[in-house]
Amino acid sequence: MAINKDGNAYTFGFSIALVVVVGVVLSSLSIGLEPLKKANVAVKKKMDILSAIGVESTRKNGEELYKEYVEDSYVISTDGEVQKDLPKEKTAFYLDVKKQYRDKNIKPEDRLYPIFEATKDGNKVFVLPVVGKGLWGPIWGYIALKDDYKTIAGVSFDHQGETPGLGAEIKQDFFEEQFEGEKIAKNGSYAGIEVVKNGSGTEPQKVDGITGGTITSKGVEEMVNRTMKVYQKYFSKK
Amino acid sequence: MEESTLDIFVKAIFSENMIFAYFLGMCSYLAVSKTVKTAVGLGAAVIFVLGITIPINYLLENYVLQEGALEWLNPAYGKNGENTIDLGFLSFIMFIAVIASMVQLVEMLVEKFAPALYGALGIFLPLIAVNCSILGGSLFMQDRQYSTIGDATAFGIGSGIGWFIAIVAIAAIREKIRYSNVPPALRGLGITFIITGLMGMAFMSFMGVKYGEEKDDSKKEQVETSQIINSKMQK
Amino acid sequence: MSETEENLKKPKEPLFSKKNKKLITDPLSDNNPITIQVLGICSALAITVQVEQAFWMSISVVFVMVFGNLIVSLLRNLIPSRVRIIVQLVIVASLVIIVNEMLKAFVPDVSEKLSVFVGLIITNCIIMGRFEAFAMSNKPFPSILDAIGNALGYAWILLAVAFVREVFGSGKIWGYEIFGSNLPGEESGLYEMGYMNNNLMILPPMALIVVGIIIWIQRTQNKDLVEEH
Repeated sequence: MAINKDGNAYTFGFSIALVVVVGVVLSSLSIGLEPLKKANVAVKKKMDILSAIGVESTRKNGEELYKEYVEDSYVISTDGEVQKDLPKEKTAFYLDVKKQYRDKNIKPEDRLYPIFEATKDGNKVFVLPVVGKGLWGPIWGYIALKDDYKTIAGVSFDHQGETPGLGAEIKQDFFEEQFEGEKIAKNGSYAGIEVVKNGSGTEPQKVDGITGGTITSKGVEEMVNRTMKVYQKYFSKK
Repeated sequence: MEESTLDIFVKAIFSENMIFAYFLGMCSYLAVSKTVKTAVGLGAAVIFVLGITIPINYLLENYVLQEGALEWLNPAYGKNGENTIDLGFLSFIMFIAVIASMVQLVEMLVEKFAPALYGALGIFLPLIAVNCSILGGSLFMQDRQYSTIGDATAFGIGSGIGWFIAIVAIAAIREKIRYSNVPPALRGLGITFIITGLMGMAFMSFMGVKYGEEKDDSKKEQVETSQIINSKMQK
Repeated sequence: MSETEENLKKPKEPLFSKKNKKLITDPLSDNNPITIQVLGICSALAITVQVEQAFWMSISVVFVMVFGNLIVSLLRNLIPSRVRIIVQLVIVASLVIIVNEMLKAFVPDVSEKLSVFVGLIITNCIIMGRFEAFAMSNKPFPSILDAIGNALGYAWILLAVAFVREVFGSGKIWGYEIFGSNLPGEESGLYEMGYMNNNLMILPPMALIVVGIIIWIQRTQNKDLVEEH
């Protein structure tokens, strides 16, 4: 064999060939799977929204059910004004509220808040996304408000890396179900919910926290109250 | 509740310690922790490399890899453009390439300009390219979407310091444990695992540290909103 | 070229000769990558809270190892020695990207749970270690067996640790309750009698201690493995 395997020319040639092969394989795979991945992300979001209004969906029928229940969606600003003519990435469904929450370059007062209007069993429900932070990373979810604007119809929470069995329990039904019927107003004025240590959660506006998951539970309380305050501005104008 | 740069830094050292909370870089942690001297060398090299690669990978992530990140080349490639480009799938390979080449580059530079430092760190640098904590740092940086390069750098250096503390501490313990009567089957690896577990528990107490001032303007705003609602109701 | 030469020199050995079988069985116990060779612990421990995560992680590692070892072994006479580490890194990284894309497209829920730890397979020392120590100097078939053996050796430790942690930490296996329900207010089974989950098991430090105990058991049974300080 005449080729010198340790020569520069061979090394370069080999590297270039490798890069080309790897590049072609990876980009074709990525482009091929792109629609599937995008669809997965979108369906997941729709399932979460549906779950907040108490409609259980699967990845298969999520799309369909979403069309059936959710009728309208729009975005409001921090002072409760509906925003119009937004670019696609800032419309209610495509707005990345998680990224907006983390990004320090966006001032809190410049944040946008999406609202999804749905109808379930003839009643109008408003589904509102919330974002906050737990112990290890971001937590987020959707709150469904009844059309008196102060009774919670249902919630769904999710998290990125909370401790399984502790903080991660916020996405379990037993935690989420407690929010149903809670009122975020007291004597006609706005008041938040409170996540408390086990036991006293039966009182109005109080929800049992998760044993061993105090920081995550407090994170849920903080994110719900902070976000609901903004939405109340919009609803009070209605 | 915004995370300040200092919060990120302190968190990376203590409550989100690479070793005790995520087990990253365990291979070299176990292999090179027999004496304090080598542990200090490797730990310093890790701080150094994390502090360099995370900001570089941060720039790469934000100006090349992310969806629409190539907007500066041509607005059409941006998020609202018609040809949005998403190179996110290449991030693993790009990060590891940056790490491998940076390690090589740093090694050459240090050898040339700071022979004394090279004598201390030199042999550890090549080991670092395959240290999980380095790639892990970049992947966490990507996952957590830090909003400024300062935050990313603080996270990188903080993680490095956290790793340094962990390896120096275990090396010191291992030096002393030689004089103890450990059950034969646990000697070496086994006892190191268990001690690391116990140290991890100790480090968990840092989780109670409260980061950032909680701005308690909620009460004030609450009153304002309630006034609005009240006035509405009276109408 | 050299492959045919090798074939000519040596008599053909049966597909599953003793030597080949040993390639699979050795890494399962006496030469286990995690407990004896101390490789690949980094990405392993963090995802052992639940059996399901550990299972998918193991599958991913098996995939990356088998194909990686195969590719490296096929290319072993072509790879220029000066850049061989970086070539190996590129091969692992590409395989991991493939795994990650597949997970995202077909089992998105799993991909969310594993998050950054899929990426960390790249720096899993077992993989680079086997490339360098075995695949670079052996033929494709033994390399595949070696990969399977090592990946399974890694997988069973992962699953064992995950099993212990999930059973005692959350009273479940693969998400199914085995001790009854522990929902506040509607306890059943063991929980009704006052049993409580050991929350400590779920926290990171216990992964290390469980592995430490596995090592202890293994070395008590096989005294040859005992090391000096």
